Amino acid sequence: MALVDTMAPAPTDIPDWLASPERYQPVSDRDGFISRSILAISSVLARFRLDDGQASPLSPSATVKVVLCLSCILLTSLSRNYLFVMIMLAGTLVRACLLPRGALGRVVAGAGASAGLALVIMLPAVALGQAHSALLLTTKALVSTGVTLITTLTTPAADLTRALRVMGVPGVAILTMDLTLRSIVRLGETASEALAALRLRSVGRNADKAASLGGVGGVVLVKAGRSAQETYDAMRCRAFDGEYHVGGREARRGADVAWMLALAAIVALFLHLQGTV
Amino acid sequence: MHIPENYLSPSTCILATVAMAPVWRAAARHLREEVPGEKVPLIGVAAAFSFLAMMFNVPLPGGTTGHAVCGTLIAILFGPWSAVLAISVALAIQAVFFGDGGILSLGANCLNMAFALPFVGHAVYSAVRRAIGGERGELLGAGIGSYVGLNAAALLCALEFGVQPLLFHDASGAALYCPYPLSVSVPAMMVGHLSVAGLAEAGLTVGILAFLRSAAPSFGIETRADSPAGLAPVLGLVLALVAASPLGLLATGDAWGEWGVEDLAGMVGYTPAGLGSGWEWGSLMPDYAVGVLPEWIGYIVSAIVGVTLLVIVFRLASPIARPRVDFDA
Repeated sequence: MALVDTMAPAPTDIPDWLASPERYQPVSDRDGFISRSILAISSVLARFRLDDGQASPLSPSATVKVVLCLSCILLTSLSRNYLFVMIMLAGTLVRACLLPRGALGRVVAGAGASAGLALVIMLPAVALGQAHSALLLTTKALVSTGVTLITTLTTPAADLTRALRVMGVPGVAILTMDLTLRSIVRLGETASEALAALRLRSVGRNADKAASLGGVGGVVLVKAGRSAQETYDAMRCRAFDGEYHVGGREARRGADVAWMLALAAIVALFLHLQGTV
Repeated sequence: MHIPENYLSPSTCILATVAMAPVWRAAARHLREEVPGEKVPLIGVAAAFSFLAMMFNVPLPGGTTGHAVCGTLIAILFGPWSAVLAISVALAIQAVFFGDGGILSLGANCLNMAFALPFVGHAVYSAVRRAIGGERGELLGAGIGSYVGLNAAALLCALEFGVQPLLFHDASGAALYCPYPLSVSVPAMMVGHLSVAGLAEAGLTVGILAFLRSAAPSFGIETRADSPAGLAPVLGLVLALVAASPLGLLATGDAWGEWGVEDLAGMVGYTPAGLGSGWEWGSLMPDYAVGVLPEWIGYIVSAIVGVTLLVIVFRLASPIARPRVDFDA
């Protein structure tokens, strides 16, 4: 009892600041730049992961598919003729229609986001009466991203690596691309977690919040370096010497010839339409 | 029947869009609650019928052209609320990508073709079915319903055109937007639709419905026994309609109320102020037209883009429908 008596302070000992009721209300703050812009970009990046590619029965071999993909993107970007872009859009949409619903959703979300970004960038052109140019550029972004996503979603990641090696891309470039694409989802998650922590930690109005973005970027960079190093070390442990050795010839598929003929037709159409408006 | 940009005053466009907002909301609710999730992608295919039907122009008396909509067909297959969404999305794609119908007047176009048409058509169809049973009653109801539905939409469209010069004119009496009054717009629209376009709508609706009932009975909101071929005949029909879409080019001339500004100025002797200075959306392929290649290629490319976009939109929309368990099965 004596101990309790000595521990219990007398009522008169409570300081005024402690006796006054707490009425702290944090000033509302805006964090739209975190929740919308940055996180949206991170989530779009995460859609580029290469983990569930499945080739369809009518798909060409991975090498032909990569050639087709790159050619379509190049020709669409170079085209000054809107009809050519519309024909490429029609082809991309037909292929997208045949994807499973989950893959279709990812293609639409990724391609739609890039097209939306292109449209936002080109909005001043719409205001100046050049809506046609804005639509053309938006459609080009839609086609290019759509073709890329369809290719990645319909090709197993190992086949993509093999296709790049068959095409003569240097091993270092393939390694860099592999490491980048494989860790991009984890980097997106890391960025999201760091930004969530930043948002939770900021109580009340914090004008300095935007300045912390550099720190978030630094954390992501460090994580990226560590993740890439760990993956590379693991590959070294499995006797990776920097070269991708392609064992045997890639199995040719019957559809390859038809797809290459289709590519030739696309190139011919591009040359025919180029120069006309 | 696609009202172009600036033919209606901005206030008319806003009024029509505001009127359509609760309709779209109710249609989305009905879709979520009444249509099974696995049936939602099929509405996209049905919307493709409508998109393609609107590309088939037929010549009308008076030198203009018209087209079917197939709104009653979608209402019969999937219910009128689903038809509202299907035709609205088809009209939006036509306006944004092909400049067929205006962006500002999208609400008015949806009011005519996506709301009035399927509801009137479906009401008449239901009444005929109650009176005459069996397959004959269904096809007869579809024919009469689609004919009445299309003409109801055309009448609504003519009224919207016709009230413009009464409500919106300058001090000298010159119209600011559509210059033709009700005494001109109603007869001009209705003669062509009562005589030809309505019959085209009825013929297309009955033909497609009869084909679907025999070749793909499960294509619709009702659960029916499927044929061995599944939905392959439906996709075959869509492909055939895409390939045949250039037939719409055979009808030359503009539809009534869809003239260019210069053409209209030549007809009435002046350019209505609102039409000359109004905002216009620069679509990629205005009127499905192309540059140097033959027009039929542009038509086919447009048909492919429109059909695939509709299928994609409704495939992605399927999760919004509530999962249903049929305890009677």
